[in-house]
Amino acid sequence: MIHIVYMSRAVRPLSDQDLQSLLDQCRRDNAARNVTGVLFYSHGNIAQLIEGEKEVLEPLFEVISRDGRHSNVVKLVDKPISTRSFKDWSMAFHPIEPSGFEALQGFLLPHHLPPPPSSLSIADAMLVDLVKLAVFGADATPSEPTLAHA
Amino acid sequence: MREQQLQDILRHMPAGVATLQGEALRFGFVNEAMQAVLGAPVQEGQAVADHPGTIPADLLDVMQQVFRSGRPYVAKSYGIPLPATDDQNPTPRYFDIALEPVREGDGPVSGLLLFAMDVTAQEEARQKAHHLAIETRRLDTRLRVLTETVPQITFTVDADGRYEYVSPQWYYYTGQPPTADLNAIWPLLIHPDDRLRVLYQSDSARAAGIGWSYEYRLRRHDGQYRWLLSRALPELHGPDQAVFWHGALTEVHDQRELAEALRRGEAELRFLADSIPELIWTATAEGFIDYYNEYTAEYSGLTKAELGPTGWINLLDPSEQAGAARRWVHSIATGEPYEGLFRMRRHDGRYRWHIIRARQLADERGPRWFGACTDVDDQHRLREVLQTQYDELARTNRDLDTFVYTASHDLKQPLLNLRGLFDELRRTATFDDPEEGEIVGMLDQALSQLDATLQELAETVEDQRGLSATPETLELRSVADEVLLGLRTQVQESGAVIDLDFAAAPTLTYGRANLRSILHNLFSNALKFADPTRPPHIQVRSGIANTGQPFLAVQDNGLGMKLPSHRAPVFQPFARQHPHIAGAGVGMYLVQRIVASRGGHLEVSSTVGAGTTFTVHWFGA
Ligand SMILES: Cc1cc2nc3c(=O)[nH]c(=O)nc-3n(C[C@H](O)[C@H](O)[C@H](O)COP(=O)(O)O)c2cc1C
Repeated sequence: MIHIVYMSRAVRPLSDQDLQSLLDQCRRDNAARNVTGVLFYSHGNIAQLIEGEKEVLEPLFEVISRDGRHSNVVKLVDKPISTRSFKDWSMAFHPIEPSGFEALQGFLLPHHLPPPPSSLSIADAMLVDLVKLAVFGADATPSEPTLAHA
Repeated sequence: MREQQLQDILRHMPAGVATLQGEALRFGFVNEAMQAVLGAPVQEGQAVADHPGTIPADLLDVMQQVFRSGRPYVAKSYGIPLPATDDQNPTPRYFDIALEPVREGDGPVSGLLLFAMDVTAQEEARQKAHHLAIETRRLDTRLRVLTETVPQITFTVDADGRYEYVSPQWYYYTGQPPTADLNAIWPLLIHPDDRLRVLYQSDSARAAGIGWSYEYRLRRHDGQYRWLLSRALPELHGPDQAVFWHGALTEVHDQRELAEALRRGEAELRFLADSIPELIWTATAEGFIDYYNEYTAEYSGLTKAELGPTGWINLLDPSEQAGAARRWVHSIATGEPYEGLFRMRRHDGRYRWHIIRARQLADERGPRWFGACTDVDDQHRLREVLQTQYDELARTNRDLDTFVYTASHDLKQPLLNLRGLFDELRRTATFDDPEEGEIVGMLDQALSQLDATLQELAETVEDQRGLSATPETLELRSVADEVLLGLRTQVQESGAVIDLDFAAAPTLTYGRANLRSILHNLFSNALKFADPTRPPHIQVRSGIANTGQPFLAVQDNGLGMKLPSHRAPVFQPFARQHPHIAGAGVGMYLVQRIVASRGGHLEVSSTVGAGTTFTVHWFGA
């Protein structure tokens, strides 16, 4: 099993409808292929973590990176993992009209995102925190200085 | 019959034919084509001047002159407006019109023969050609102005590489006279190092029928070689058949120099970074490392790919990773500089202390991070050794003080006894020798001196350590924090958890130095006699006893000790329960003495293997 993390830019801003149809399609296709992970979207910034079998994930990443809806796809990590850290596939973004989304399966408001699961190594958890920060900005990402060095 | 045939032919001819008779030029024969030209129907015998059709006044005038002079005339491409129809505006049509005088034998002119050949199509073509010629001349002029005013040199080369055209800028730029033989001179002006390459590249582009784009140095009028960009595209005549190449030369010297300087600067900086025996790295605005210097690979034994954008975290001691990661995310979010002291794993698995520092550079290229990890392991270890030595010295010093203090106290009783015995002796004994009386006096004096010295010794120690200070109201919490600060190395090293609970009795009226001394001894003992199999857990609690007097309990989960049947020996100076642990005993003796001096007492309960609790009853009941 491997996981891949990448960041990209939407070619043009994605509407609520674009995002919802992406959510529907990905939930369906990823469940069928046993792909789990999470996608962050805000103001054209995209980051995604996907995990699954190497034979599934590598071609999927090829397809995703050629998808005309985004460009500047930069792969940050691609490496073997021993366990999954996400139980299914979900998406976090700020819909313009949030009321319809709240009840949607696999949808999360960015500030409801749980901290990176502890099954990730600290380096990978930090990577997820950093891409979250890059996509949503500092306001949506709690980041308190810690007493680790006190 | 022949006449009839002729008339038929004339009638259907595609050219207009008409006869005009007499001075008044009256219509005689008019064929169909002429009818169409004239527009309105023509009555035989009607005078041309009276016809309401299309014949303009000037043509009528010319007809009359031809009749009078008897000289034929042909008007070329004469425009006659065709009458407007329902859906069409009048459109000019063009005719070649021939006017031929007619005579009867040698007599005077009796009429005119009129021919009209429609030449509209030819005329339109001619006019179009004329307009085209004008437009072409205009474009030509524009192109010339453009090619001669743009800063670039423009040129045209044929398939053999011969210059068909070069704009005047070339002469201006190279300083060559207008008479110069382009094809001979040009190659000579190319920098010798570039010449062969340029000739080859343009030759192969021409052979392949494709355009080119390359840079080379050309000698300027002042003798300086300057970088130029040469770009050209083929002009195709028929598929794949290039006949000419049109192109432009643009000076790119300054850009190239700048780019070169930048490249050189970057390469030099990189070389510098790679030469420094420190871990140096840069990160993107998002906080992902995008460059590690060579020493990083050397130190960690990992390649850049293995380290990855966040892999440096893996080099840190596992207990420090989470905190270091949180700090980094915080720095990226806020732009605050990053700084921390961490142990970093070397390729051989050894951890060495490093200070990791990173700062954000924000300029027009957007924010980036520059970081360095400085090995401070030797300094750190040296400091630790010094700290240990310092602590050792401080303790020895304290022990010595305590020894002097206790010795002075403990010698007081025997001295008192001695003084009593001596007084008794003096009272009961008699001396015959008067000198012996003197000796008794001297002895008395010596005893008093000894007493004073002991007193002074005790006071000096008390003064030095502030033990004789007057009591004041103290916050237990703040004094305890102060003491723990002094013990932080021991606390950190052992990973001790210390619970302070002063809620029941937050303050105490006592000498500050005494309280500090007592807490120091109690805490350091609890840390010192920790059970190595578990991290120390020390619970400190203040309270009011049944007697109404305050107490303080310090409970640890350490080794514990066997308590003798009576408690005194526990606090004997230099009596150690755990001989492998340095510097115990004296401290507790001092604690007991201080506490006793205020009328209080020390209580201890202990279980071997489970822990010890000391309870200080500050004052007598
Ligand atoms: C930002 C982004 C993320 C995507 N993530 C996934 C994904 O996780 N799983 C998936 O099946 N398709 C994903 N897609 C969609 C794929 O690129 C592709 O459109 C989809 O798999 C349909 O492919 P198909 O037409 O070959 O069925 C993503 C597209 C974009 C733009």
